[in-house]
Amino acid sequence: MISRRALEIATAILTGSFGVAVLVSSIDNGIGWTAAGVDAGTFPFVIGVIIVVGSLYNLARGYLPGGTLASVPVAITAIELRRLAGLFVPAALFVALIPIVGMYPASAGYVFTVLALPGHQSLLRSLVMALATPLALYVVFERLFQVTLPHGAFAAAFGL
Amino acid sequence: MENLHELLHGFTIAVTMPHLALMVIGVLLGILVGVLPGLGAPNGVSLLLPLTFGMQPVSAIILLSSMYWGALFGGSVTSILFNIPGEPSSVATTFDGYPMARDGRPTTALATAFGSAAFGALVGVVLITFLASWVARVALAFGPPEYFAVYFLAFASFVGMGGAAPIKTVVALAIGFAIAAIGIDTVSGSVRLTMGVDELVKGVSFVVAVMGLFGIGELLVAVEEEVHARGVSSKIDWREVLRAVVRLPRHGIALLRSAAIGCWMGITPGGPTAASFMSYGIARRFSRRGQHFGTGEIEGIISPETADHAAGTSALLPMLSLGIPGSATAAVMMGGLMIWGLNPGPMLFVDQKDFVWGLIASMYVGNIVAVALVLLTVPIFAALMRIPFVIIAPLIVIICVVGAYSVSNSYLDVIMMLGFGVVGYLFKKLFYPLAPLVLAIVIGDKAEDAFRQSMLLSKGSLGVFFANGLVTSLVVAGLALLLLPLGLQIAHVLRKPGERKSIAPDSEDTTRQKVRVT
Repeated sequence: MISRRALEIATAILTGSFGVAVLVSSIDNGIGWTAAGVDAGTFPFVIGVIIVVGSLYNLARGYLPGGTLASVPVAITAIELRRLAGLFVPAALFVALIPIVGMYPASAGYVFTVLALPGHQSLLRSLVMALATPLALYVVFERLFQVTLPHGAFAAAFGL
Repeated sequence: MENLHELLHGFTIAVTMPHLALMVIGVLLGILVGVLPGLGAPNGVSLLLPLTFGMQPVSAIILLSSMYWGALFGGSVTSILFNIPGEPSSVATTFDGYPMARDGRPTTALATAFGSAAFGALVGVVLITFLASWVARVALAFGPPEYFAVYFLAFASFVGMGGAAPIKTVVALAIGFAIAAIGIDTVSGSVRLTMGVDELVKGVSFVVAVMGLFGIGELLVAVEEEVHARGVSSKIDWREVLRAVVRLPRHGIALLRSAAIGCWMGITPGGPTAASFMSYGIARRFSRRGQHFGTGEIEGIISPETADHAAGTSALLPMLSLGIPGSATAAVMMGGLMIWGLNPGPMLFVDQKDFVWGLIASMYVGNIVAVALVLLTVPIFAALMRIPFVIIAPLIVIICVVGAYSVSNSYLDVIMMLGFGVVGYLFKKLFYPLAPLVLAIVIGDKAEDAFRQSMLLSKGSLGVFFANGLVTSLVVAGLALLLLPLGLQIAHVLRKPGERKSIAPDSEDTTRQKVRVT
């Protein structure tokens, strides 16, 4: 269970750290005024400052017991969290597998896992969907639009 | 009169067989992404974008804009029949559309929605026809300071009128600017903000960002709420369609008011979502039957739908004549324009007459095509909603992954897309607005260039932004919009605390109630 407050704080910290990274990185490009005009780092620097200050404000708003936040104390319940993970974790694994086994096996495996494992769909139906997916991708992308999808390290090792 | 002549010429470009076919394809694809939760107009248009690179720009923009119209209509279908808004901008349509459909009048609700939507779109296109070239002519005289002032005004209106928490809007905007700055600086040629990752030198494509923010992000929100399609009958009774459309003029005032709100919000980038909420809120306050809103009132459907489509259409006006998109989808289309080698802005009206007027003429035709197609296909797309979400979700993930990869054949893009997905989910959950973020990614570089060129002109003095009447009034208007939320907050505090809630429920409150209901 994640409270709205915790989520607000986490997001503010996330945006704030991005702001700090922008700030620090832009100093390398030089901030200020030279003969050639405004330095390359100036605009990002100002942007970084705005992000950091804004994030600090949002952090404070999230931390202090505010009026609007109190109305929805729970942002994500345990069940919702499980559903989120059920979508995101397989998707992340799918993306992680792409450079190793290639887009086609990865997408087939992903579809099969997501459909068959929770028991929503019959094994046969999941298998058909899993095989149809890479086939459709191949026809649409490599054939129709001439976009080569990643074939993966395995395929490369065999010289495909 | 000159405009009408150009428009007629535009019709000769738009009304050709290949272009009509593109419109049909675009509208159908648009309805599809509009109907499917987790896929929306910005996302759909950016998915289609890489496939248009080989086309003529005018054909490509007709395809993409038709998809936009289709998506706007498709979002209303699911709002009314299933109480699931397929698009953020059709959330307000669920308030009265679904109750009316549940009461056994789904055809009335759909026909009313499409009729008023078509009216809103028509007002938007007429506005573009007569105003766009004039705005462009004025803008031809703009120098860098004026341009920066217009950009500033656009960003300030998000903060002042977007409806989200102002500081969250500012943070979202600034993050967009920072993302736009990643890569090679166009002025000095130096590499910025790559944080040591060489692949980032080419910058972060807005397509990747949109795919993650709107695609994966919306999918995560949808899976969390576990959408159940418990729809009402989707049979269309054609006689009732006619009756509902004939009844529309009786609500002329609501139609005109909503169209005006929509056009205003579309041109000053507030976007269709804010427009539909604002229009609904105002209608509830001013309608004689205001207390019946939420139970299936006709005007409760007319107001958000008209404003939604008027805003969606008129969002293309500033995109064409100033190079500032009025909505997230318009921002994606403008990105496309730049990829096709066109320079969005006033010069389009001089150099690319065929493109501009072909597009404007296609908007008239495209919306008619969209109304006809959406009415004909309601049963088909409604059946699509009954496919379990567990099957649709992984397919959308794969579409987004392949879409992000195909932008520039980069695996890093796929990972970034997933990262943007998490950010999109968090932002949606916490009511950070996404449209300004996308807008800033697309036009951030241009705004920065305008600022730096102005600084060069003035040798580093900010006085250049107050040098003449035009630029001063733009900057002052921008500042006023920026400070508007602060002023309203002070006014709230000065009022009695008891009154506070009843005055104007902001969109965040209403969305949240919606989220809890579904």
